[in-house]
Amino acid sequence: MSLPTRPLTLTINGTQHGPIDVPEGMMMIDVLHEMLGLTGSRFGCGQGICHACVVIWDRDERHSETVPTCITGADFFDGKRIRTIEGIAQRDQKGEVTALSPVQQAFLDQFSFQCGYCTPGFVNAATVLIERLGRAPIARQDVEATVAAALESHICRCTGYVRYYAAVRDLILATPGLTRDSV
Amino acid sequence: MKERRFRKLIPWAIGIAVLGFIAVGAFFSSNLLRGKTGGPVQVVNAPADIVARGKYLAEAADCAACHTAPGGAPFAGGLAMQSGFGTIYATNITPDPDNGIGRWTADDFWRALHDGVRRDGQQLYPAMPYTSYRGMTRADADAIYAYLMQLRPAKIPNRTTDLRFPFNIRLGMRGWNLLFLTDTLPAVSVGHTPAWERGRYVVDVLGHCGECHTPRGLLGQMELSQPMTGSTLGRFEAPDITPDGLAGRGWTQAALREFLGSGLVEDGSAFSDMHLVVMRSTRHLTANDLSKAATYLMGDRPPPPAALPDAPPPAEATTTAAGRVTYVALCSGCHGLNGEGIPNTVVPMQGNTTLRLVNPRNLVVSMLDGIAAQSFSYLQRMQAMPPLADKLNDAQAAQLANYLRVSFGGQKPDVTPDIVRGLR
Repeated sequence: MSLPTRPLTLTINGTQHGPIDVPEGMMMIDVLHEMLGLTGSRFGCGQGICHACVVIWDRDERHSETVPTCITGADFFDGKRIRTIEGIAQRDQKGEVTALSPVQQAFLDQFSFQCGYCTPGFVNAATVLIERLGRAPIARQDVEATVAAALESHICRCTGYVRYYAAVRDLILATPGLTRDSV
Repeated sequence: MKERRFRKLIPWAIGIAVLGFIAVGAFFSSNLLRGKTGGPVQVVNAPADIVARGKYLAEAADCAACHTAPGGAPFAGGLAMQSGFGTIYATNITPDPDNGIGRWTADDFWRALHDGVRRDGQQLYPAMPYTSYRGMTRADADAIYAYLMQLRPAKIPNRTTDLRFPFNIRLGMRGWNLLFLTDTLPAVSVGHTPAWERGRYVVDVLGHCGECHTPRGLLGQMELSQPMTGSTLGRFEAPDITPDGLAGRGWTQAALREFLGSGLVEDGSAFSDMHLVVMRSTRHLTANDLSKAATYLMGDRPPPPAALPDAPPPAEATTTAAGRVTYVALCSGCHGLNGEGIPNTVVPMQGNTTLRLVNPRNLVVSMLDGIAAQSFSYLQRMQAMPPLADKLNDAQAAQLANYLRVSFGGQKPDVTPDIVRGLR
């Protein structure tokens, strides 16, 4: 018995993939892991609750959001542009990491994660937040609440929330252009 | 011609109105003259079994649904109820002498439930369902009173109801009551057995189900010619719960018992306002009362549940192909490739009671808004459904809704992008 398939073409981390034949009903996380060799995204609850599996969907130049890949079928991403955890750090021509992103560095500096299973999700969510604030800065006194709102759907079973939140908060406050002085 | 005849009628109309005013003037003011403020604080020491019975009845009548604000003290009021006429705030019904019913006697309480009149003689608005509670026995009203009077008094002031003119004149409700207040609500089904009679009392009087499930007229009255045929409340439709309406969606008395008792059945789970009704009220009903409520809702001779067609007709399968692509992409991760759901976690689409509704409103709104995670008895929990409003355009949402209706609900693919746009 063979499963019916549908062709999938999409851009991941700036590189075009496909068309590849994906079995109908395959979730995106399985396509990333099994068909594209991108194993950095983590499969957690499988129900779209824990957000360990989120990737960044770049809807247009000014609008990105995270999408849980465990409950989102591959077909949803057909023709779309996404970024996975593998595309966050800077890499050289050979694909070696040359510099971590500010979010990744902040998580390391603050010892934010323990087992690290939820970290790809946190990195992606925080990256989307930082990019958004770069386009639309917020008042400094709103930073704490904004960070909480952006990360609250992400579950960390080691309960590292405080250091994750603090890392993102400190990064936002220390980065010029992400906040404005309140009036 | 028409206009002339109309003009001739005007003096008559004025005459009748004046006579009417004079005739009911005294009637109107009589309540106010009988009204009381101040007076002694009531001390009620009812036997424990009466208090326990009052608690059961207060749950069956779901008093807390409105008389408790979200996150507020139980029975201390404060819930805002939006109506087409303005906002009404539920009142404090704890025995606080200044803010609650601490000075009310059992007679005062009875008059509020039975006649819609406050202790001070002012009219209540029918947001307080005295229109349904009117059928309550005096013994049951007294038991609820005995229960409320032994609660901890909450010093929480009432908020002033904020209705537009002329609806802010409470006396006007005397006229409304003359027009619309009835002793007995029309039965939704046919029956004569004692079980049916008790079920009628549980459903129509205590549960006041018709207050949401019966459509309302221009003046906010229940349209008693069409009892329980469904009505729109906020975002969602309270569906048709007549015997034919229920059986048409596959409901049986056994399934109704299960649903009212737990909120969870094979074909779906209670959500939105009905989830609160189940959790605060109907799940506390005895197995006996649940069974009788189900008997009344479907009648002594329940119509047979309508079966779902085995597979959608081939012609319709092609019209819904685009909807299936969206379903597989956005829904099948939880609801299953073939709509089977995940037991105890995600409702199935196969035979889902919302998909079997003729009106697609609840389906489309659920898709657009999502549904928050909901807890049920015994630590059961249905997971949150994410909102899809920003992932689907109107055409995609309509295609998806039509695919679901045809494939799993036995309904027609009649959802248009305009319907979706109207519900955003």
